[in-house]
Amino acid sequence: MKALVIDDSRTMRRIVSSVLSDLGYETVEAGDGQAALDVLESGTEVDLACVDWNMPVMDGLTFVTEVRNRREWKDITLMMVTTESEHGQIVRALAAGAHEYVIKPFTPDAIRDKLELLGLLPTEERV
Amino acid sequence: MRSGLVGVDRTQMLAITQDVFAAMVDGGEVLVSARFGAVPEVVDPVAAWVDMSVPSLGFGARAVVRTDRPTADVLTRALLMMGDDEHVGLDDFIDAFGELANVVGGNVKSLLSVPAVLSLPTVSGQAPVMEDNQFIQDIALDWRGHVFVIELWMLVLEPVA
Repeated sequence: MKALVIDDSRTMRRIVSSVLSDLGYETVEAGDGQAALDVLESGTEVDLACVDWNMPVMDGLTFVTEVRNRREWKDITLMMVTTESEHGQIVRALAAGAHEYVIKPFTPDAIRDKLELLGLLPTEERV
Repeated sequence: MRSGLVGVDRTQMLAITQDVFAAMVDGGEVLVSARFGAVPEVVDPVAAWVDMSVPSLGFGARAVVRTDRPTADVLTRALLMMGDDEHVGLDDFIDAFGELANVVGGNVKSLLSVPAVLSLPTVSGQAPVMEDNQFIQDIALDWRGHVFVIELWMLVLEPVA
């Protein structure tokens, strides 16, 4: 399975990618929403996108909205990974089309549990 | 009083920082503790901060993480999984230290009494100039023998109708 990790911080991309790699994912990275759209436009197919909220150029909420407007990307699971923890923000993200929401800081188990709920754990990781 | 909108105490600041370091730096272990006594003068200081603004109320808050550059370099190596002797470049330091402040500040934002907009982090070789703003709270912390300080300020903004 392949995941697109979208965060303007290389540090956070490394942390998220490391967790996903340990779970058996292949990962590709993008530094903002527009760069992530460019990755998808290039034909890279992903099962999961982990999306930060606050980013320059294009924020995560706009990215989620853009992806949900494209029929060819309807199978991509979108998981917000962000410090935005207010209830209203979570509702906005889910309403825009995000499937799950993880608040930073997170543990590897928190990511694993969310992916398990979504049925997105690679086969060897399932218990 | 608007400072009541930033009702965040030192216990909460400690808990947030412990959670952030445990998750991002220390593999789940809690290695951050409150430091008692005078904080030694910082040589080669660095600071990173994020702002939380509520323009409609002319109010905001700023969470600042301050330490010395050698400590920031140790943190950067840990966050980027670099070797102990690996050189920390300016871009590495800005990215890692800024993200640390971003996650600390984002969690402080969740404790404000009104929804706020979080800025992108700023990283600097000196503390931010805060002369027209109101100091709220700080806490000195120890992490693996290194000292750093978390500060919270209330920002006075121009109200936006």
